[in-house]
Amino acid sequence: MSVTSVGTEAGPSRWRAGLGRLTAGASLLTAVAMLPWLSGNDPALTVLRARSADQDPTPAQLAAVRGQLGLDEGPIAHLAHWLGGLPRGDAGTSWVSGEAVLPQVTSAFAVSFTLMLGALVVTVAVAALVSARTLYLGSRRRLNRGRGATGAAILAALPKFLLASLLATVCGVWLGWFPSSGWEGPPSMVLPSLALGVPSGAMIGGLLDQSLPAAFNEPWARTWHAYGFAPNHVARHALRRTLAGVLPQLLPTVVALVGGAVAVEKIFNIPGLGRLALDAAIAQDLPPLQTATLVLVLLGTAAGLLLQALRRALLGPALRDGALPALHPPALPRGRSTRWAAAACALALLALVVAGLLRDPLHVDTAARLLPPSAAHPLGTDALGRDLLARLGHGALRTVGVALAVTAVCTVTGLLLGMAAQVGAGLTEVVSTMPAVLAGLLTTAVTGPSAWGAALAVCLVGWTPYAAQAAALLEQERASGHMLASLSFGAGPGYLLRHHLLPAVLPGVLRNALLRLPTTVLVLASLGFLGLGEQPPTAEWGRLLSENQPYVELAPWTVLGPACALVLLSVLAMSGTASGRSRARG
Amino acid sequence: MRTTSRGLIAALALTPLLAGCFVSGEGGGDTGADGGSTGRLRVALAVPPVQALSPYSNDATVLSKLSVAEGLTALDKDGVAAPALAKSWKQTNDTTWTFELRKASFQDGTQVTAESVVNALDHAGAAEPKPRVLSDVTLTAKADDADTVTISTKAADPVLPLRLASPALAVLSAKAFGKDGTVSPVGTGTGPFEITKLTGKSKAALDRYDGYWGGKAKAPGIDVTWIADGTARANALRGGDVDIAEWIPTAQAKLLDDKTRHEVPSVRTDSLVLNTGSGLFTDPALRGAAREAVDGSALVDSVFGGYADPAQGLFGPAVPWAADKRVEVTGRAKAATTAQVKAKTEGKTLRLATYTNRAELPEAATVLQQQLEKAGFTVKQDVREYTQMEADLLAGKYDALVFSRVTLLDTGDAVAYLASDYTSDGVYNIAGLKDAKVDEAIKSAAEEGDTTKRQQKIMAAEAQILRTDAVVPLVHEKVVQGISTDVEGVLLDPRERSLIDVDTHLK
Repeated sequence: MSVTSVGTEAGPSRWRAGLGRLTAGASLLTAVAMLPWLSGNDPALTVLRARSADQDPTPAQLAAVRGQLGLDEGPIAHLAHWLGGLPRGDAGTSWVSGEAVLPQVTSAFAVSFTLMLGALVVTVAVAALVSARTLYLGSRRRLNRGRGATGAAILAALPKFLLASLLATVCGVWLGWFPSSGWEGPPSMVLPSLALGVPSGAMIGGLLDQSLPAAFNEPWARTWHAYGFAPNHVARHALRRTLAGVLPQLLPTVVALVGGAVAVEKIFNIPGLGRLALDAAIAQDLPPLQTATLVLVLLGTAAGLLLQALRRALLGPALRDGALPALHPPALPRGRSTRWAAAACALALLALVVAGLLRDPLHVDTAARLLPPSAAHPLGTDALGRDLLARLGHGALRTVGVALAVTAVCTVTGLLLGMAAQVGAGLTEVVSTMPAVLAGLLTTAVTGPSAWGAALAVCLVGWTPYAAQAAALLEQERASGHMLASLSFGAGPGYLLRHHLLPAVLPGVLRNALLRLPTTVLVLASLGFLGLGEQPPTAEWGRLLSENQPYVELAPWTVLGPACALVLLSVLAMSGTASGRSRARG
Repeated sequence: MRTTSRGLIAALALTPLLAGCFVSGEGGGDTGADGGSTGRLRVALAVPPVQALSPYSNDATVLSKLSVAEGLTALDKDGVAAPALAKSWKQTNDTTWTFELRKASFQDGTQVTAESVVNALDHAGAAEPKPRVLSDVTLTAKADDADTVTISTKAADPVLPLRLASPALAVLSAKAFGKDGTVSPVGTGTGPFEITKLTGKSKAALDRYDGYWGGKAKAPGIDVTWIADGTARANALRGGDVDIAEWIPTAQAKLLDDKTRHEVPSVRTDSLVLNTGSGLFTDPALRGAAREAVDGSALVDSVFGGYADPAQGLFGPAVPWAADKRVEVTGRAKAATTAQVKAKTEGKTLRLATYTNRAELPEAATVLQQQLEKAGFTVKQDVREYTQMEADLLAGKYDALVFSRVTLLDTGDAVAYLASDYTSDGVYNIAGLKDAKVDEAIKSAAEEGDTTKRQQKIMAAEAQILRTDAVVPLVHEKVVQGISTDVEGVLLDPRERSLIDVDTHLK
């Protein structure tokens, strides 16, 4: 963990960062290459199944597949062969289809990358909308009341797959504005980009919105305002000041969608990289899986370098000269509405849980299928006639508990890796584009299916946003004047950590973690098909959403309840911490 | 700020460049909304191609569904072999059959000759791994003259004509077979539609083949889109993007218009397979208790939304001869009472497995869990993706499995399924059943040549299997096909082998 200024040792640190990237990428690729041999599932059997579902798994057939693929040569020989082909532009042939892998992966990547760009546009637009009010008021120095970012919290809590189903049904089928599925031209980009971009935009916008007041609170902003600079001018510079801290979030939030948008790709039937990687992973079709992983690693590194360059361009001279004051939020009095929102959400959740706990969440009544909300079933029933209120209530503790625990582990890991800037940067870039499913597969390969497997898998990849954020904030903090002052007074690393680094990083990372809480719940549930996490019929919010997703149109209340619960949780977390913090400071 | 906006502009400028990455349906003429006016059929299929439509893979059924390729024979409505490329055949002795070919041509212009048939069958026999349909038989084909083929089998094979109807044994022209063992049906079949373009795993374009022996197809072509997600398939039909969408999930079926929703009994039976080899259910009394506890008819209106029939046995209404020949099951073990179950399973949980690949199965498992718990069992579910658990299933690591199984495999003959799933040496014997009487009954059915007697023996074997309570049939699934009201002549085939033929067209 280095706490010295970055500027002084740019040369070696760049080398170290490069080495970090290389090590991270190489170890990930090696882990993937071992997957078919590590997992308890015979690759010959999974490949045979993928080729022909009704095939009898006779020993002779399996031996034929094994011989064909050369499975007995072991993982090292395969990895060497694959690596050897790469310089020639040959990424091997698919084990399942026997076709060349590279053309498949490049076309899927192009599709996913285009989609990601669409999502990026939406993200930027939504982020702009979310932070517009603060920017407008702040640049005119009328920002005298803080907000709990309720709007951002609501949007960020929307599950992407639910949004996708909804958009496909309403705008695709009912209104016919856009194609409901397919990938045949710019019109078919609109709905998936919206489904992916709106929650991401809310997340980015929420972070931006929360750090803008600090920028407006800096002395220069006051001075400029006093001198009568145009508000737009002030706004632009405040944005430049805060963007530098938020930009790295684009990597795990938006760039990661290239490989991590499987659910949305499925709903809109988009032939993207996420689906290709998932299919390959399930069939244990190694060459496409490896190639897709390599592409994602390269993408993550490239995007990371690009974002870093952007940040340098935004803050360059200040960072270099150690003339950067840290961003410290002003002690704005929190609006009464924030406190009210927190209290209302807490009450609603409490009522939900208490009412739910009094009911039976597992009782199946096939006669009471998909009943709309009524006195007997206040939130309606699901496809098996189970009471949704009961399922929500019983699932609450487990869902929130596991999600909070995972978030805590991820935050700590992220902080630690974010502080180890040189090694951490490479690792962060490489891991942030990894789909959680891949982590899930690696986890099942090692631990087998287990209740804690999902949490473990999410912990493996979920720390990247926090590491990226911590690294960015720390870089600024290290370049600040008061750090230099402390250093010259002889402050040790422990002192710096306690008095400068952690206070600079923690609030921002915490907000980020809370904004991502609903996403964590959903990602945890999305690994269920690998046998990770609690098995059905246990009630759990993420599962409630995914198991009722097919009934969105037929019985909207089946997803409305769980979705609202997630939104309540998100708003409570955001506004609760906001009002808590202001009270502590005030 | 200036730099970010520049970056943003760069990103936006990249978008049109990348727009070349959209999947265009060119080659098939018009796509989209005006597809209807040209008379081309737009079809959404469910299972994307895995091996570029090779007949030796899952993709084989696509070739028969869209009438691209044909075998020597075909199956008619009742599942009996009917003439296709062979206009007639006769059995000369136990192991030898002669087939007379009709005059037909491949889509690449060459004639169908005895030589080309032999070539195609030889390639199927040499394929690694072997196609499912040839796994229990060895064929030798010989050209007698230009239009006579003699096929001999090592052991007697009474169902050879049925077997030859399998899409895996489609006759393709010599051009189809690559040196490296790949097979391409693009422009090499004999059917009324010719594949002109295959775009990855997402699209294919087919044109009418005018030289088809059975006359010109009414539709000028077919545009195929593969949509794996059931909701997306239903949406595509409702949004008017396709004319035909196969396999509408039961959760979506109610959203379709009455006139576009067509249900077909399927040869798929869902059942609860009990592990007789190890664990709780080695005890026949407990198996009996499970059988009595489980009520498949409760699933019909709930989980399956009415698109299923309560189980009659292993074979449902899609197997037309099964109902009349059904044999009553006798000699079952006496079921344990709830108290006995509780005593016998003291401290042991019933591991109930099922897989996520078919959306209805996890729901069904939850209903069954409640039914079994009422009978005194303690149940724990394990639900995963099928390939994630197949090895464990075959190793007998579960007590019970909610299983969806096609009962007429690609031979079109029920014995293949019974033999692989229920004989002592069956390779797919998840129930771990080892029962001499069952083995004997299945063996005697396999050897029977006469159709009616064979069917009777199959039903006798069914009764033997059900007697052991190794399997408790739950429901016979129905398939919902979504067909726009503008389309006429779509084939509703319980075996899911045919869908579009020469007569299918837009009104």
